[in-house]
Amino acid sequence: MEDLADIVVRKGLQLGASYVEARIQSDIENTYSLKNGVPDTFQLSRTVGIGVRILVNGTLGFASTDKLTKDSVYDVVKLAYNMAHSSSHLVKRPVRLSPEKTIQTSWETKAASSPENVSPEEKFNLLFEIERMLDPREVHVDLPSRYITFSHETEEKFFVNSEGTKIHGKTPRISLWFFLTASKPGKGTLQRWMSVGESRGWEAVEEWNLPKLVSNEAKVLGKVLDEGIAPPKDEINLVLGSEVVGIICHESCGHPQEADRILGREAAQAGESYVKPDMIGTRIGTEHVTVVDDPTLSKSFGYYMYDDEGVEAHERVLIDKGVISNFLQNRETAADLETKSNGSARAVAYSREPMIRMANTYMKPGDYDHEELFEDVNSGVYIKTFMEWNIDDRRFNQRYVGLEAYLIRNGEVDKPVRNPILEVTTPSLYGSVDAVSKTVDFQSATCGKGDPQQGAPVWTGGPEIGLRKLRLGGLDS
Amino acid sequence: MNSDEIAELIVTQGEKLGASDVSAIVVEENKRMLRFSNNSITVLQAWNTITPMIYLSLGPKRTGSIVEDPTPEAITSTMESLVKTVRLMKPGDVDSRLPQGPFGYHSIQDNYDPRVSSSTDKLTGAVETSINSAMNAGAKRVSGVLVATEWNRTLRTSTGSKGREKGTLLELTVRAFVDADSSGQGVSCSTTFQDFSPELAGKEAGEIAKLAANPVEGTEGIYRTVLGPSIMANLLNTAAVSTSAHAVEVGMSYFTDKVGQNVASDKFNLTDDQQLPAGPGSHAFDDEGFPTKPTPIIQNGTLKTLLHSSYTAKKFNAQLTGHGYYSGTSGIVPSPSNLIVKPGDYSKKELFEELGDGLYITNNWYTRFQNYNTGDFSTICRDGIFRISKGELSNPVKGLRISDNMLRILQSIEAVSKELLWVKWWEVDIPILLSHFLVDKVRVTKSRK
Repeated sequence: MEDLADIVVRKGLQLGASYVEARIQSDIENTYSLKNGVPDTFQLSRTVGIGVRILVNGTLGFASTDKLTKDSVYDVVKLAYNMAHSSSHLVKRPVRLSPEKTIQTSWETKAASSPENVSPEEKFNLLFEIERMLDPREVHVDLPSRYITFSHETEEKFFVNSEGTKIHGKTPRISLWFFLTASKPGKGTLQRWMSVGESRGWEAVEEWNLPKLVSNEAKVLGKVLDEGIAPPKDEINLVLGSEVVGIICHESCGHPQEADRILGREAAQAGESYVKPDMIGTRIGTEHVTVVDDPTLSKSFGYYMYDDEGVEAHERVLIDKGVISNFLQNRETAADLETKSNGSARAVAYSREPMIRMANTYMKPGDYDHEELFEDVNSGVYIKTFMEWNIDDRRFNQRYVGLEAYLIRNGEVDKPVRNPILEVTTPSLYGSVDAVSKTVDFQSATCGKGDPQQGAPVWTGGPEIGLRKLRLGGLDS
Repeated sequence: MNSDEIAELIVTQGEKLGASDVSAIVVEENKRMLRFSNNSITVLQAWNTITPMIYLSLGPKRTGSIVEDPTPEAITSTMESLVKTVRLMKPGDVDSRLPQGPFGYHSIQDNYDPRVSSSTDKLTGAVETSINSAMNAGAKRVSGVLVATEWNRTLRTSTGSKGREKGTLLELTVRAFVDADSSGQGVSCSTTFQDFSPELAGKEAGEIAKLAANPVEGTEGIYRTVLGPSIMANLLNTAAVSTSAHAVEVGMSYFTDKVGQNVASDKFNLTDDQQLPAGPGSHAFDDEGFPTKPTPIIQNGTLKTLLHSSYTAKKFNAQLTGHGYYSGTSGIVPSPSNLIVKPGDYSKKELFEELGDGLYITNNWYTRFQNYNTGDFSTICRDGIFRISKGELSNPVKGLRISDNMLRILQSIEAVSKELLWVKWWEVDIPILLSHFLVDKVRVTKSRK
């Protein structure tokens, strides 16, 4: 099958393209679901095909097919070429690719215990075990809706380009996602979704202790329903948990520092950025804030060694001690901005073009113990987890609504607070950070971007952080 | 193998493996996408795919697969894996059966235009037209995407249903900018070139962007608003999805236990009409082979029905509605497909006059729920946002977010305008035909610092 990729490259060059790449990719995913304690459908998704990217007169063409025959791939190359060629007159800014090192290699993340060797019964038993732990007598709250899905997948890619790069890569992923609705008479309902995922095999499940994790989340919902009070309206200090810090770093640092957004390529879909090309070196936060994106984190959900343009992956420092220091680059944006790619191009399927994506974006730890974050807070709120969030399409105005949250009084965590709303601009948020804890935690997520949409596996994460002098939002009822 | 042969193979193989029911949907797509930004083409994309989708059950155990690898070997081995796994599953709660065919299907009128897949020149011409139109209306730079799809859909079920339909679809989004803070969006969505309007989409985007120039920071509060077709399309997509019985089962609906109740203002009527001629989401049959029909969802503010597949219909003791569609890792679940909002009597201008003082919000993005069950959510206002003073368009504003409750918004609809537009774009999955809405007491917030 890998010969087909070579055929594509040769054919594209024969047609007159200045650059050709082919990616044969297979993604096979198994999903087991339990809906309100009852097995839902078992789903098996199998996606195999070839994606071809071609550069003709500065015009980029991409075409793909799931028919892996010589005739079909010939047709695909011609299609990509003809589309690019016939539309060149509409290209006012010719696409160039940054020069990068050619690589021939093969890499694989091996599962210590392949989920394929675990029986379907055992996988369903995992879900039933979680379900048993959600018994109202265990978690002290009614859970009228419970939806739990467990997935494992294998992604395999073979990448070839006309510059001589050839890379074979293989990654297993495993994840659990759940969505709970908790209800108490007279107190209404609360909902919680959460996911756990890594680029590993069944050994991850054996370490996660999922029944305990999910039941703890359910118990928290009950406690917040029972005891939750309205959040304070005054200017206060905040402590944000790792989950909240993770989504913040993803949304208001990772996304706005994607160079394709900065250059306007995603303007009609995911939007642009408040960050401009000349803002490298601009202070955006306090010296406590260092945010990185690192595809090479061991076990991470967004793990990869080489990106889908054949560039080696490494850690990218996006904000360094409060100062914008790097953008996420692919070869196209790197050429535009006269720099090198930092290996940020990813495609989630053979049928998708590679584009700039985050991998594992997180804030670097500081030197505070957990307790020290609270010590000098006389009146504040600790937002540990969130449910609702969003951010504008320039990544400037954002909102996070807490789910598990508590008052802080005289340096101690006090009563639960219900639905505290942090609605704040990016510079105010990073400019208010004055304490960062020593320990970092990660959450798995699926990041949406691109047209057609590409849901990319990522980790978000960070330490716990302290923010000074902010006001929680929301209108009075 | 062609689509008929693949569908036949799936059903035959499923029966051989002992399945009680089998459904095969094979979708062939020939799709082209032209993306542009800063007035320049950024990438051209094309897809030629055959995607078989398999559903099979063994009594009360259900399973399925999407196989983007349409070879007999891949299909056969996938089905063997499915059956092997499903035999080990504990039974589900309902022994539902696929609808017993054969059925007669009404073909959808005006949903195919051979020029959609044959003419790249017409597509590049449409992109050029939309960019020029936006620039002539006042834009400084223009971005967008044009998608042209030709599709064929083939159905076979073990219960005797057999169907084949084809269609085409053109989807254009144009986003015009005057500066980073001032933008506008226009869309055009149609099944044929005859109803396709790249010029109007570009003009709309350019005009909004120009009017939105030099916005001032908005103020949070509770406003009378006119909400444009794009933002209402996004919000009403959440409403339509909430009527899926699957959404109700998993707690992702704000319509749980509300069939027969007033859930919206009596001015509001929402129908899923999959039989509509030239409907971008019209289909003659669902993925279970059940014939579609117009389904009133909300009539004069009353929720008339949930949407059902064979599984949810049996579970909820309800009638099939023809909405069983394949949906990723959830298998076949009830999903809306072609939404229509009944127009009102007002012109857009009259709606502004009726509003008096308030806000006109043209578009949104990033809608997220704090609680699907209650309908508490927020969404970011995007592109032109304007003050309305004494019924007239006034200054543009920025930095606002609607932070409200969907049931409260639906119940606060005071009027609907009469001009209709199909909306389907990046933030609106399910095509919807609708107009402008006058909505009272919309809660608007902004960053505190």
